[in-house]
Amino acid sequence: MFNRSMWSKFFSLIFAVILIIGFSSMAGAATIKVGSLNDMTGATSDVGKDYALGIAEAIHYINDTGGINGKKIKLYQFDYGYRIPEALTKYNLFKRLKCVAVLGWGTGDTEALAPTVARDKMPYVSASYSGHLGNPGKTPYNIFFAPDYSTQARGLIQAWYDNVWKKNSEFGKRNPRIAFAYHVAVPFANSSVPAGKDQAKILGFDVGPDQNVTLFAIDVKSQILALKQYKPDVVYHSNTVMSVAATLRDAYSLGLKANHLIQNWGFDENLIKIAGPAAEGAYGCAPWAFFGQDVKLMDKVVEYAKKYNPSIPLEKRTIHTLQAYASALGLAEAMKRADKAGDLTGEGILRKGFETMKNYEIGLGMAPVTYTSTDHRPMSLVRVYRVKNGKFNLITEVDMKKLYPDKWANEWIGW
Amino acid sequence: MSTTWLPCGDYHQNYQQDHAWFQTKFIKGKMILLFLILFIGLPLISDSYMLSVWNIVGFTILGALGVQLLIGFCGQLTLGHAAFIAVGAYTSTLLILEFPWPQFMLDWGIAYPISIIIAAVVAGIWSVLFGLPSARVKGFYLILTTMAAQFITVDFVLTQYVSQIGGRGQAFSLPPGTIKYGPWVIDNEIKIYYMMLVLVILCTVLMANLLRSRAGRAWIAIRDNDISAEVMGINVVKYKLLAFFVAGFLGGIAGAFWISSLAAISPEHFPWFLSLWLVGVILIGGVGSIHGAIFGSIFMVVIMEALQLAVMPLADTFPKLLMDFLFIKEAAFGLAICAFMIFEPNGLAYRWWQIKNYFNLWPFSY
Repeated sequence: MFNRSMWSKFFSLIFAVILIIGFSSMAGAATIKVGSLNDMTGATSDVGKDYALGIAEAIHYINDTGGINGKKIKLYQFDYGYRIPEALTKYNLFKRLKCVAVLGWGTGDTEALAPTVARDKMPYVSASYSGHLGNPGKTPYNIFFAPDYSTQARGLIQAWYDNVWKKNSEFGKRNPRIAFAYHVAVPFANSSVPAGKDQAKILGFDVGPDQNVTLFAIDVKSQILALKQYKPDVVYHSNTVMSVAATLRDAYSLGLKANHLIQNWGFDENLIKIAGPAAEGAYGCAPWAFFGQDVKLMDKVVEYAKKYNPSIPLEKRTIHTLQAYASALGLAEAMKRADKAGDLTGEGILRKGFETMKNYEIGLGMAPVTYTSTDHRPMSLVRVYRVKNGKFNLITEVDMKKLYPDKWANEWIGW
Repeated sequence: MSTTWLPCGDYHQNYQQDHAWFQTKFIKGKMILLFLILFIGLPLISDSYMLSVWNIVGFTILGALGVQLLIGFCGQLTLGHAAFIAVGAYTSTLLILEFPWPQFMLDWGIAYPISIIIAAVVAGIWSVLFGLPSARVKGFYLILTTMAAQFITVDFVLTQYVSQIGGRGQAFSLPPGTIKYGPWVIDNEIKIYYMMLVLVILCTVLMANLLRSRAGRAWIAIRDNDISAEVMGINVVKYKLLAFFVAGFLGGIAGAFWISSLAAISPEHFPWFLSLWLVGVILIGGVGSIHGAIFGSIFMVVIMEALQLAVMPLADTFPKLLMDFLFIKEAAFGLAICAFMIFEPNGLAYRWWQIKNYFNLWPFSY
């Protein structure tokens, strides 16, 4: 029998061996290394899990279809729990692992790391679509594949104004009323609110008091009661889906007579499942196809979901898988272009990769993307869906650049 | 008395000898060696990733020192320390971004160092505000009042008002070159490391000296029994508030240091979990010991990172291992606290003391 001392020596030895193996494994192999920060356990894990699965599956797909001009991508994927110190440490680990690019996640950490990635010349493709990241003058190495949150907010409000309010019997008799419900303390949730309010002002809305609804909210009754006092015609939501569903449920049960506009992270397949009839009539932005829709590459998305995560039923997969594919495929395309140009460095990926994309079609039901050295907003098209009979129906497409060319070019960049 | 080795028995003849920093030449030699390791050895063997890990250790130490002072030395339970760190970070950032510094101060690179001191004082005063209830409540009730500091400060004041200054919305980003110490622009991990080292040493010395002073003895008396302390003539309220001030002051320095790591802040950087984490750090390191704050920080940051590196080779076989590591880390954090409470309630600092004594007394340790 081992005595206590022998056990402790044994475990110490095992621990030391693991550490040595771990550190020695840092030596690189001839692959292209990419880091990925994901949220599986934190405040945005309700949407983060599916995105993380999508990233891993997309990288398998890229590797199986030729990789980066024949070179495989080695993915280092970490859960950082939506905590910024953890994101910083992981980012430094990616540098140590000699990753050439990072697939990031939230607005808080992406914006926090923006000065650092600019200094390190590390292309950072985020799942944060904060408008602040669209101005290469300030955040040159930040890229994303979606209409930015501010454009989404403007597009949703514009679409509601054109398609709903103009048909209302009170149109022309009084100003429409709008209120914003979001987690005030979270940069992701509040990043589009100033732009949303600006758009509301442009269209002549009265703006009500903001309602602080946390990302963890399960009871939103007090906020809904406050909204009932204000009587908004429409409420804008910029939280993730669990929180938005809780808000819609309480709005439904307390009889709030208002339409709902929902940013992309709150508008997925789970919204209908969780909110049920409360989600009926809600409007939302979905820049990609929903999971299973008949669009280019969906067959591959479904095939790889079945192949690499067979334990997760397909009906539980969501649009966030498609979002992850968009980020990964977009990065892969940029790396291919940079590699062809013989410059697979951070700066090469940015200048000879992303910034050479002009109306580039990724598929996945996305609008084409364009980046220039002066504008990192990839698209201006906002697709607006409405929930009807438990299904998403495309209502309209709003092109903010076409509607407001001057403001788009001169005022709105970096909002 | 030997000036090299500390003999058995107490040969000190005055208080100066009792309280000397280096009681023997051997101890002085050990400290010089430690300084050489910290200032030359570690930077030589560390790449930027390892330096960033050391910097997180330093940030944790700076935060944990204040928590240690409040909980470990003054007996004031706190779960809102992240708020004071946030106040320090925001004060320093706003001073750098918004204050009209004379050009010569910017040129000489003294704006940021001054902002650290002001940030520390502001955080200290803010901490005193939330320490006021300690005059009337203690124990679990005090935990609740300090938690209020977190929600009022971060979720309300900073988010709703402070973050809106300058029209930037929520996140503040510091332009390159603004975080500057004299001629040195703090723009890479090695410079941040040296800044961290200086700040940690200064704060540790400050706290160690305070604990040797009248205030330190009063805090310990209050911790041990506040009624007895009052009977002895200690102004309990005054010293409790002083403890909150110093803890907030140290937290403010931690916050002001934090902005150098990222050159950006938002309220999300200071979640309530950070306060809880810092309490966990001192529980594992050892309550009531400066060493405890340091060892706890090293344990919680370095060991977890080392474990993560260790599991990376297994990730090719078990690809989900990397993704699940944070979950494992959280579980390990909880388990480590339970294990330390059961098997080593005095924390790592006590184990260190035992090891040190073993060698000091060898071969006659009886």
